[in-house]
Amino acid sequence: MALREKAWFPIFFMFVITLCLSAVIILFGSITRQRVKDNERIAYERAVLQALPIELPPRATPSQIHNVYITNIQEADASSAGALKYIKDDSLVAYALPLAGPGFWASIKGLIGIAADLRTVTGIAFYEQNETPGLGGEIVKTEFRTQFRGKKVAVKGVPLEILPATAELDENSVHAITGATQTSNRLGSFMNEQLAAWRKGMNNQP
Amino acid sequence: MIPSNKTKDVVLTALWDDNPVFRQILGICSALAVTNLVLNTMVMGAAVVFTTALSGLTVSLLRKWTPRVIRMMVEVLVIAFYVILFDQALKAYWPDMSRNLGPYVGLIITNCIIMGRAEAFANTNPPLLSFVDGLFSGLGYATVLLCVAVVRELLGMGSLLGMPMPFFSSPLWDRWIIMVMPPGAFFTLAVIVWLARTIQVEKDTKKETKS
Amino acid sequence: MTIGNHMLHLLVVLFAAVFTDNILLARFLGMCSFLSVSRQVKTAVGLGFAVVFVMTFTTALDWLAYKYILQPYAIEYFRFILFIIIIAAFVQFIEMAIERYSPVLYQNLGIFLPLITVNCAILGASLFMVIRDYNLAEGIVFGLGSGLGWMLAIVAMAGIREKLNNARIPKGLQGPGITLIIAGLMALAFIGFTGVLSG
Repeated sequence: MALREKAWFPIFFMFVITLCLSAVIILFGSITRQRVKDNERIAYERAVLQALPIELPPRATPSQIHNVYITNIQEADASSAGALKYIKDDSLVAYALPLAGPGFWASIKGLIGIAADLRTVTGIAFYEQNETPGLGGEIVKTEFRTQFRGKKVAVKGVPLEILPATAELDENSVHAITGATQTSNRLGSFMNEQLAAWRKGMNNQP
Repeated sequence: MIPSNKTKDVVLTALWDDNPVFRQILGICSALAVTNLVLNTMVMGAAVVFTTALSGLTVSLLRKWTPRVIRMMVEVLVIAFYVILFDQALKAYWPDMSRNLGPYVGLIITNCIIMGRAEAFANTNPPLLSFVDGLFSGLGYATVLLCVAVVRELLGMGSLLGMPMPFFSSPLWDRWIIMVMPPGAFFTLAVIVWLARTIQVEKDTKKETKS
Repeated sequence: MTIGNHMLHLLVVLFAAVFTDNILLARFLGMCSFLSVSRQVKTAVGLGFAVVFVMTFTTALDWLAYKYILQPYAIEYFRFILFIIIIAAFVQFIEMAIERYSPVLYQNLGIFLPLITVNCAILGASLFMVIRDYNLAEGIVFGLGSGLGWMLAIVAMAGIREKLNNARIPKGLQGPGITLIIAGLMALAFIGFTGVLSG
């Protein structure tokens, strides 16, 4: 075919192919973009709810999660020093403090729930982490997270300690994950930093 | 390797004799990282099969029009196209898995196997045959990865597909944490390669003694 | 963060990329060339230097491309193609430059450059940089560290394999098999470095 042998054909061909393939990708990307955003939002909302003493049905659909979220959660304002508020029947039940910091591989983002007494922990949940599956990645599993329920934030010193798996626990400490020393250490480090800062911010309230 | 035009031969060749991982240990780069969990490996395998089969089909459809001089660039573009589609779909419909697999789905683009198949086969064969070749190349590759994953998840976490397995999740079995970490993947693959190679060597010696 | 803290953080990123998060032994990237070019220390060193060079510059270029081309137009999913194009173009450009200005360097280094375009570690480093949301300084240091880590792994592997030349290895293990076992042992050894970075 004479067209093929023309000198400009390779460039033309490349251009056409790139155009066609890119068009399909961009189309697909725009179709899925809203969904990707929604997924991220739902992951965040689910983590907020899991950190608080709110009952979520086991296989909650995204819309169920969203409904529970908007009925019960108020955004952070000046009186909560950056934490979200869980309001039930017009009274403040608990706060959900966002936590974010470097894990072993990438950043870990989550929330910790503190009751209105500013000391009792209601729960902890994560919506973003990239730790080693089976080791650091276990922080999202219930075994690790339920440890936090009912623990108390210490008034002096380290707010919440993450101790080695063999250590004795008291009301201010939880066990780290065996084999995930780095993840546990780093989580403990930024979690306590942010808890202490929040506590200071709340104590400065009038 | 003389490419036969019979589909059955193509299938067998792609799956065993020419099985890329057994023979050439190419392209394991990306995928070994996700073999600590069987579920992740299955998704990764699906991604590779999807890409190899469809890019084989596409490259083959375009082969009469593609100028020689930009042949490789076109192949990379086609492969990248299917990988991006898969990656985007995963991000939208299974975000947790997308996060688990990280950059490794994208790295399928640089996978030597897929480029190799496109160059060696799809460029010179009809579309349907190229599709079948790509499909079974990808399946052979995915099978080896699954073997590694089954060993790693079973011995390292006592489960398969996330479900605890009878003996391995009981207190009687001390979980081999090394299987959850990178060295475990290297050792497991080494053993699998050893087994496969030994079988191959025996087959070859039998063939030689027969003839 | 103070300057001191900043420098310390960059040093940690560098150290992690070379030792504890070694792009080859912990992240499995760049294994094709690793398995085939690791027979002699001399070639391994040559390829290693080339990888360090290319990786450092391409992570910087890819970061800039991500920040100023892909993100503003919300077409992040094109990063795979754009990064590959940048890497291929850079390698091509460098190869021509070296061939022209330093035949000696070309003899020692230039011949490895085509091998690098298909090295998944180069693309992988840039992809990790994007996932971990590094800034430019962190990205460059990460690229440098990953390259050095890769080079360390391949040179060590070549050294070990040279020593094994006279060993009697079972037929089934020869070639890829034994290399994988050595890699596994090296990966195991490198995990020991995690304790160095505490706190």
